[in-house]
Amino acid sequence: MSDHRLPSSSAVQATTLFSNRRLTSEEFQAYVDAPVSEAEREEALRLIRWFKKRYPTPAERLAYARRSYTRWRTADLSVRRR
Amino acid sequence: MRGSAFDEISFFSAIAASGARALLIGRRALVVLGLPVLTADYDFWLHSEDIEKLNEATRPFDLEPNRDADDARRVGRYVLENDEHIDVLVSGARTTVDGVEVRFDDLWSRRTSVDIGAAEVFIPAIDDLILTKRIAARPKDAEDIRLLERLKEVRDE
Repeated sequence: MSDHRLPSSSAVQATTLFSNRRLTSEEFQAYVDAPVSEAEREEALRLIRWFKKRYPTPAERLAYARRSYTRWRTADLSVRRR
Repeated sequence: MRGSAFDEISFFSAIAASGARALLIGRRALVVLGLPVLTADYDFWLHSEDIEKLNEATRPFDLEPNRDADDARRVGRYVLENDEHIDVLVSGARTTVDGVEVRFDDLWSRRTSVDIGAAEVFIPAIDDLILTKRIAARPKDAEDIRLLERLKEVRDE
């Protein structure tokens, strides 16, 4: 069973710094060129097709993005309050 | 709760009406194009002569610049914020991680206009958006480039 313990603020800060670091040109290109399996590619295409069909206009997509972020924040805060 | 009170369409409408040369970049532009990515902020690349126009247009939304216009021009970027966070790049040009110069004027000349109902939003052409992703060059920017390449496949269908 998970005890929902949260990482320390210093761990969160270190992780944020790591994920926001600027890569070298070689590292960045390696990320961009990393092989994609056919299944991964199809999954990405399926997701894009779904999103564009479900939200056909840019205004609907923008509204979805705000709702999605609010949901994510609500879930994040909920975990932090446990 | 962030994301509830802010009228996004009015916000974009005010920017369009101001005449500020502002390109929506970052993940919010990816969303406009059709990629369901999570994002908290808005990112704009603005012509440096239009800082005052943008600030004036966004003042009714209680967005406060964190630098005055001259300081923003000197530093090359600033932030408009309240509960929202708007990153504004105001450099004339930036350099990608592999040394390619990306000029605002070039991106502006190739921009795409997107109708969002009561307003019009300008975003860079997809290949230019990919170039902007190579400026910050974080791991998530590489992931966004891969998604943009998939998006191009869907657009070609």
